[in-house]
Amino acid sequence: MQINENVIKSIIEEVIANLNNENGVAASSCAVEGDGRLVLTPVGNAEVGKRKDEVVIGVAPAFGLTQTKTITKIPHVDVLRELMAGIEEEGLKPRVVRVIKTSDVSLMAHHAATLSGSGIGIGIQSKGTTVIHQKDLVPLSNVELFPQAPLLDLNIYRAIGRNAAKYAKGESPNPVPTMNDQMARPKYQAIAALLHIKETEHVVLGAKSQDLKVEFK
Amino acid sequence: MVDNAVLEKMIKEVMQAMATQGSKPAAAGGKMTRADYPLSETKADQIKTPTGKALSDITLDNILAGNVTADDVKIAPETLEYQAQIAESVGRDAFARNLRRAAELIAVPDDRILEIYNALRPYRSTKAELLAIADELEHKYGCKMNSKHVREAADVYERRGRLKE
Amino acid sequence: MKSKRFEVLSNKPVNKDGFVKEWPEVGLIAMNSPYDPKPSIKIVNGLVTELDGKCREDFDMIDQFIADYAIDLANAEKVMAMDSKQIAKMCVDINVPRAELVKLTTAMTPAKVVEVIGEMNVLEMMMTLTKMRARKTPSNQCHVTNLRDNPVQIAADAAEAALRGFDEQETTVGIVRYAPFNALSLLVGAQVGRPGILTQCAVEEATELILGMRGFTAYAETVSVYGTEQVFIDGDDTPWSKAFLASAYASRGLKMRYTSGTGSEVLMGNAEKRSMLYLEARCIYITKGAGVQGLQNGSISCIGVPGAVPSGIRAVLGENCITTMLDLEVASGNDQTFSHSDMRRTARTLMQMIPGTDFIFSGYSATPNYDNMFAGSNFDAEDFDDYNVLQRDLKVDGGLKPVREEEVVKVRNKAAKVIQGVFKALDLPEITEAEVEAATYAHGSKDMPDRNVVEDLKAAEAMMARGVTGVDIVKAVKKAGYDDIAESLLGMMKLRVSGDHLHTSAIIDSNFHVISAVNDTNDYMGPGTGYQMSEERWNEVKSIPNAIDASDFE
Repeated sequence: MQINENVIKSIIEEVIANLNNENGVAASSCAVEGDGRLVLTPVGNAEVGKRKDEVVIGVAPAFGLTQTKTITKIPHVDVLRELMAGIEEEGLKPRVVRVIKTSDVSLMAHHAATLSGSGIGIGIQSKGTTVIHQKDLVPLSNVELFPQAPLLDLNIYRAIGRNAAKYAKGESPNPVPTMNDQMARPKYQAIAALLHIKETEHVVLGAKSQDLKVEFK
Repeated sequence: MVDNAVLEKMIKEVMQAMATQGSKPAAAGGKMTRADYPLSETKADQIKTPTGKALSDITLDNILAGNVTADDVKIAPETLEYQAQIAESVGRDAFARNLRRAAELIAVPDDRILEIYNALRPYRSTKAELLAIADELEHKYGCKMNSKHVREAADVYERRGRLKE
Repeated sequence: MKSKRFEVLSNKPVNKDGFVKEWPEVGLIAMNSPYDPKPSIKIVNGLVTELDGKCREDFDMIDQFIADYAIDLANAEKVMAMDSKQIAKMCVDINVPRAELVKLTTAMTPAKVVEVIGEMNVLEMMMTLTKMRARKTPSNQCHVTNLRDNPVQIAADAAEAALRGFDEQETTVGIVRYAPFNALSLLVGAQVGRPGILTQCAVEEATELILGMRGFTAYAETVSVYGTEQVFIDGDDTPWSKAFLASAYASRGLKMRYTSGTGSEVLMGNAEKRSMLYLEARCIYITKGAGVQGLQNGSISCIGVPGAVPSGIRAVLGENCITTMLDLEVASGNDQTFSHSDMRRTARTLMQMIPGTDFIFSGYSATPNYDNMFAGSNFDAEDFDDYNVLQRDLKVDGGLKPVREEEVVKVRNKAAKVIQGVFKALDLPEITEAEVEAATYAHGSKDMPDRNVVEDLKAAEAMMARGVTGVDIVKAVKKAGYDDIAESLLGMMKLRVSGDHLHTSAIIDSNFHVISAVNDTNDYMGPGTGYQMSEERWNEVKSIPNAIDASDFE
């Protein structure tokens, strides 16, 4: 076997991927035991931000509370960390709020955008469905939509954070490549319905959104 | 899929239906019925664009010469009324009502249509704003049915708590 | 020890599908829920004071809209007093003509019509669909999309789809800002395949209306309605805003239908304890009350939900039936992936294909499913031959026909060249010869060279900003040197002036003759009546290229 740079690179990548996978497994088992790796503490009503360099992430009513993993069992702690890291990578500030008045992902994202000083927001449901939104668009339109939660992995969540930050800076980034698996629906849709019903049980009509202190423990 | 044989058969059947039902194409002043349908074939000479052009004026040459513009390729209120009458003749009253509301809306510019639509969406407007739109529709554009529709929406949204906070 | 048989079975495609048990308390039940309301109506001085067990003062928005606009009150009390089983029997009785039955079925409440459907098995529902669909001639619609929103590929796929027999074509986008290009490419490409194809671009409601007003589309379908008030609100509309939108479309001479489907309310988390079919019935009544000519239903994008519960596919057929019973056009679903199992997906489609509907598929994927931006259809381009053989086996008109490779290559090439010329004439980013060549022979977007997406998006936005209309598109096609296609596009635009295609179940033939439920009324009354395949059409369906002729061996 000939050893060259590419082979070494691919071996390293594989090892890192394996390590990540192990971490993923470990994280998910922690989350199951609920030892509080992700602590989201409400610190007051969310107001419209004044900072032009912020992106607001609106998390759904049950996110990190009664539900702690996405539909493909990715822990919320990792999802949120990647979204925030993507934003920070572009030099912007993430602000996390909990939306309580709706569990609809587009409405959540649009609401997050209206709270955001930059006018750009991200909405994410507990099952993992995510939208990037801009405050001047109609609520059910979007900047970028990631409707197939089963296809989203941590790299994509980071890219979503990054792109949201780029829009906030007034750039026109290439959209995060759209994933498409036509067989996600037969496998996951009914389960998605169950998860969404359980999330929607936590909606309080008319409730104010809460600013959250985010701690990764 | 439609082919000539189907078409032929269809025409025969329609003619038969006309004979058995004794319905005749509408005379001047009479109401249109299914026997007048499709208007583009049986009443091509009576259909005019809102700008007064005939169907036969809409040609490639006229477009290239600039004699026909986007404003000419539109439906006129009279034509929608004819289509509403045809709908009624086949028992589709709700559809006919929609066509009549549509006939009124021809007078409202595209941008304003979009704004009014968005204003009718949930939590977008106060009751006063909706009532102002209803007034505008009625007095500025002569849209009586649409005005009533918006007033009704204002009442329903108020009762159900769907007005702008 | 593990059973080897069970191991084999567990690896079958059907076991990759998700199944869930009924949970009626949250509406996760297809039909006949113990929590569904009992049918009732009270009318005082022409006003409905009670609907399906609810008093007027308790009406939500949807109840009020249905009570005031969607029911023929003149006959309502009489029909509501009839036995539901008796009405179900009349639905399948060939001696009761459609015209008579419609007088009854349009005079009942949502709970009543659901009770009638609940009396039927799927065979009886198929019989009902054959008899009650509005247009006599069945037809079909396809999706034309791709993963990269490549406009050249859309034009070529649209042309091929038209040649194969689809009378309506629908596109949508991966990236919202691509919508004007997708709509334009579909509009032009489809006319290359055959004059008279109706095209649409499914995007957010207001954007979709703008595209229509501008002349980039001929009709609209993605105008969604929902069966509970909260989900309707989450859908960012009300029955009143949607009814206004319906009139707005007609005022611009644009055909339109609404969209709904079983499972949407439970998927959106607010089903108010009602069965999926009962809530869907409310959607169908909203459509009727708004005066819209037709509806796309059959669960549509929520098919994974009814597909996962018992009797769910029966309920999906039931919702198609109710649509026809309310005298509306039905574009009957089959447009979304629903199972890993070829057996399941075929069985599900036979429910509509055998009876025939106004559009059997409201989106057969004319591309391979990996390019289908509606997240995949139940049948795709790789199933074309299977579908053609099914038509031939059963002598059923499913709307498609076998085609020869040379003719497909020819129309794809022409469509790619026409859109190339249109882009040039409209000063849009160049379509290269290499792209034309690739689109001519492509199966999907993997066979296409990449385009500069950022440039395309900028140009699409600029094109809308400078007010390009359908008339400009006609001019651009003419300038590109394709007079025949310019004439076809003009023919499509003239429809807007006459409005003949606004009527129920309208499609357009290649001579721009409108065929709808007005002049092609379904008159099925048993064997030998209703739609009959002509000799010419049967020869077309029969002629699959790979059938061996005995004379070949002489």
